Amino acid sequence: MGEIRFLLIDPSGLHARPAARFVQTASRFRSAVTIVHGPREANAKSLLSLLGLALREGSEIALRVDGEDADAALTALTTELAPFVRRIGTTRQIIGGVS
Amino acid sequence: MVSLVLVSHSRKLAEGLQEMVEQVAGPEVRVTVAAGTEDGRLGTSAPAITEAIRLVDDGHGVLVLIDLGSAALSADLALEDLEPAQRARVRISAAPFVEGAILAAVEATLGSDLDAVAAAAARAFDLPKLPQD
Repeated sequence: MGEIRFLLIDPSGLHARPAARFVQTASRFRSAVTIVHGPREANAKSLLSLLGLALREGSEIALRVDGEDADAALTALTTELAPFVRRIGTTRQIIGGVS
Repeated sequence: MVSLVLVSHSRKLAEGLQEMVEQVAGPEVRVTVAAGTEDGRLGTSAPAITEAIRLVDDGHGVLVLIDLGSAALSADLALEDLEPAQRARVRISAAPFVEGAILAAVEATLGSDLDAVAAAAARAFDLPKLPQD
């Protein structure tokens, strides 16, 4: 499992087009991909779920990836998010452990 | 890939939504419009919808999204003119036109089946216009 925390820096938050790209990329991987925003969690393979977080500039989010291809997924998804976020947390790699 | 047909009384409205869908879901999405009357007025036309379904269906099924009112009636009539085998893989969605089309299109690009694409469109009822916190 890996998790990276980000701060959304795009003035329009995460709008529909990049959100859709993110969902399409997340869906290419077997790993479970979750965006955590405060107390809410969204399945990043569902556009509705992701848009439902109503992310805005200044929102702090965590990208959590859990599964066999987590490393590749984290790399690809971080690249997708790069134009819209600033990284604020380091990756935690917990292999076969308890989070 | 599941295809979408956007049925509207207004050609401009449907084409504008098609443009949005293509921008959001990406160029691989299969979407076409059946909108306005043959002589360019506002209205819906069952034969145009039938033709659009036949044009866009690649065998994986078609979700028809409608704007309002008699669009539903025209879409129902359009289905009657399809061969039974094709009709069996066409679904008319009651979802909100804009949100439903966007959510369905993105789901379709994931390679999901017609049931999943229709379900994604239906979840548009729960999509808030404004942040809910």
